[in-house]
Amino acid sequence: MATVLVVDDAAFMRMRVAKLLKENGYNVEEAENGQVAVEKYSQIKPDMVLMDITMPVMDGLAALAEITEKDPGAKIVMCSALGQQNTVMAAIKAGAKDFIVKPYQPDKIISSIKRFVG
Amino acid sequence: MKAEFINPFIIATKQVLSQELGKPIAIQIGSLTMQKSSYTALDMTVLIGVTGAVQGIVMFGLSERAVKNFVSGVLGEPVPVIDAMVESAIAEMGNVVTGIASTELEKAGYPCTLAPPTVITGRGVMISTINIQRLQVPLKTDVGDMEISVALRENKK
Repeated sequence: MATVLVVDDAAFMRMRVAKLLKENGYNVEEAENGQVAVEKYSQIKPDMVLMDITMPVMDGLAALAEITEKDPGAKIVMCSALGQQNTVMAAIKAGAKDFIVKPYQPDKIISSIKRFVG
Repeated sequence: MKAEFINPFIIATKQVLSQELGKPIAIQIGSLTMQKSSYTALDMTVLIGVTGAVQGIVMFGLSERAVKNFVSGVLGEPVPVIDAMVESAIAEMGNVVTGIASTELEKAGYPCTLAPPTVITGRGVMISTINIQRLQVPLKTDVGDMEISVALRENKK
């Protein structure tokens, strides 16, 4: 069973996404900011990461850069309300595999995960 | 401040409410006003800082009815009390609305970034935007009363 690390500062979003992923047969780990995500990634080596961008302590783009530096093969999908072109490009350049623009769209989240981890 | 700065927020609010609740949400847009005095909060207010080609703050005010109806609609279960999870849901709603609106601002030549949201609970709290005027519009929606207050100025740097 694949493990997905869900990174979002909004507890409500983590709860919604975790519920969706568990219903679809995935293990879920959670992190409330980029720094915790970097630490948890090293500890649990998830199959995939769903990462918000705007977060306190360390934002999603900084966490993406740190994780991909340590693990260039990391499968990280950004999931953010920030759909500005420069943000999307920065994420893709930093190694993000996909970019899902919020609001919450269960079908897009599941299809993106299936694409990378089955 | 340009009056058109507030339009992306109104459009994004309608989009997010409809998408999150899974049905079209009717919104009656009230009179747009320019305010210099402090903002007087509704029952819950989300504040989001904006920096970049425009800078300032965006505030979303919601009545208690709007808060409970929105979150219960999203969860599909009653929300009897306003707790930390409800605050998180409303913060995320403000965050998503502002994110969508910022994409439109970028298309209009104003790329900007957002700070994580802050939530203030309690009606009547006075929030000052210091020397940035605010564009404010009340919204009557199917879920309850809301208000958008945008205090943004062009950053000439």
